[in-house]
Amino acid sequence: MGFRNYLLKRLGYALLVLFIILSLNFLLFRIMPGDAVSMIMDPKFDLATKEELRSQFGIDQPIGTQYIKYLKSLLSFDMGRSFNTRRLVWDELKERLPNTLTLFFASFITTAAVGISLGVFAAARRGTFAENFVTGAGLFAYAVPGFFIQLMLLMIFGYYWPILPIRGTMSAPPPPGAMAQFLDRLWHLILPAGSLMVISFGSWALYTRNTMLEALGQDYIMTARAKGLDKKTVLYKHALRSVLPPILTLIFMSLPGAVTGAVITETIFSWFGVGKYLIDAVMQQDYPAAQGAFYLIALSVIVSNLLADLAYGLVDPRIRVGGGAK
Amino acid sequence: MAMLEVKDLTMYYKTLRGYVKAVDSVSFELEKGKALGLAGESGCGKSSMATTVLRLLPSNGNIMGGSVKMDGKELVSLSEEDFRKEIRWKRMSMVFQGAMNALNPVHRIGDQIMEAILAHENVSKQAAKDRMLNLLDMVGINPKRYNEYPHEFSGGMKQRVVIAMALACNPDIIIADEPTTALDVMVQAQVLTAMEGLRKKMGLGMILITHDLAVIAQTCDDVAIMYGGKIVEYGSAKDIYLKPRHPYTMGLVKAFPNIAAEKQKVRSIPGSPPNLLSPPEGCRFNPRCPMATDKCRTEEPPLVKSQKGEQKVACHRESEIEEGVDIWQ
Repeated sequence: MGFRNYLLKRLGYALLVLFIILSLNFLLFRIMPGDAVSMIMDPKFDLATKEELRSQFGIDQPIGTQYIKYLKSLLSFDMGRSFNTRRLVWDELKERLPNTLTLFFASFITTAAVGISLGVFAAARRGTFAENFVTGAGLFAYAVPGFFIQLMLLMIFGYYWPILPIRGTMSAPPPPGAMAQFLDRLWHLILPAGSLMVISFGSWALYTRNTMLEALGQDYIMTARAKGLDKKTVLYKHALRSVLPPILTLIFMSLPGAVTGAVITETIFSWFGVGKYLIDAVMQQDYPAAQGAFYLIALSVIVSNLLADLAYGLVDPRIRVGGGAK
Repeated sequence: MAMLEVKDLTMYYKTLRGYVKAVDSVSFELEKGKALGLAGESGCGKSSMATTVLRLLPSNGNIMGGSVKMDGKELVSLSEEDFRKEIRWKRMSMVFQGAMNALNPVHRIGDQIMEAILAHENVSKQAAKDRMLNLLDMVGINPKRYNEYPHEFSGGMKQRVVIAMALACNPDIIIADEPTTALDVMVQAQVLTAMEGLRKKMGLGMILITHDLAVIAQTCDDVAIMYGGKIVEYGSAKDIYLKPRHPYTMGLVKAFPNIAAEKQKVRSIPGSPPNLLSPPEGCRFNPRCPMATDKCRTEEPPLVKSQKGEQKVACHRESEIEEGVDIWQ
């Protein structure tokens, strides 16, 4: 019993949520003013051409039929063709996905590492200047709008002190050699990933600090200290380990946020990724492209939520039994 | 020489509004294998006393003076590192108040016990495990359950695990801070009996902190009654329970109904414990004492041998109290 049931239940919820989101995604684009054809149509076209186009895009069929077709095609990642480029949306997304994932993982790992260690550092030094500094810096980074910090960083490191590239995922003619290309990509990654870290480490550091302080005040920490364990063991094995479930949940809960947060970041740094694709598609009223990007983002949100639930079940033994804490 | 000698121990908590005088020149002794009860109302400094002896104070708790000697060796001046390695758990272990949370919820109980052994003794993992299984058996927990988590046990069983953990390194003294408060009466009795049996068998000294005088009368050799951060009466459990000499102790005994005695009104002591930020001048009990005089309000009574009993009492008017007279009438 236990973990398997828990897993199946979570999986069921995830599928249900996916279904609801897909339906909303479908409806959203149907209730928008105008239809797909009116976007690409010249007013000079005659009625027959219009009808012809409508049937090409399949929007002359009843909405129920469209819906079933929509669900079927999404299961095979068929998102239709972009109005603009006339290419398959999935092909376009596939090209951009690696860039988005790179940016995402780079920023995510640095944020988690910096945020959690600063939080533990601050909690262990309660009441000192170091703690106040971390808390202050974290609050500042948390409170200032992200795009503002990113623009400032872009201005400082791209313009006043131009040591980093201001746009793109790599140099226009890529440098020769695999190693040089890799370093070139890394060089382009620093500013977008680093700025994402700066704007989001604050909530991590503050959250870790708070949960750690709460844990350090628990009776079992007193027990651990009384047992004569050294400071490190008490801090990491007892305090940090016991707050790992909520922190891990935060990690996975912020995965979707990091995915969508990348939309603005990718736009600011002209990053060739899914986020920028979405913005461009919306701007150009390219419905299939926008719908495809939405679908991908929704899917990543659901998957990361599912991962959060599973991770929580793994690290907190009390969740596994299904009844919660006794 | 007693195994544990506490002399004039003083510990204040530093706060924004001044010092909270939680433990103020407290002295007591504990012989090997004996049990001492520390009793008093909530907030009288009992638990602070325990954390001071084990040096588990929060960062604002300062030992202002006095000494704690174990086998003649001074502990207050010992370095933090030496104290941690040599004293904690190895010589003195603790069973905490609120046993519900004394175990880390994310570690298996067996690991938590083994961890204490491995932290202090240079033994193999297997040896530590064997001892852990043996300890669980001793406190009446099925050793097969060693790899379960705390939430899989009931309150009473958790407290047994905590006791097993306290015995893990064969300490000389166990400090038990309200070990049974969170448990219902039946389980309380079971846990106390188990603890007493093991304590006698292993020849352990114990400091039992509780507000339940009946528990102390049942288990302890000596009793120290604390009020407002000070010991007001100190002597053998029998003397103090049957013939209390301090007005406060008399009130405290009266506040616990005796199930075997005639029906009588349970009486509380009017007023509340003093604010230890600015305790009353003179005797700290004077604002609540029915016998207080001007001397009580200005001069602090020393803890001296009683005129009419065997125990030590800190009261100016102790000699005037006739035996059997109910001053709280």
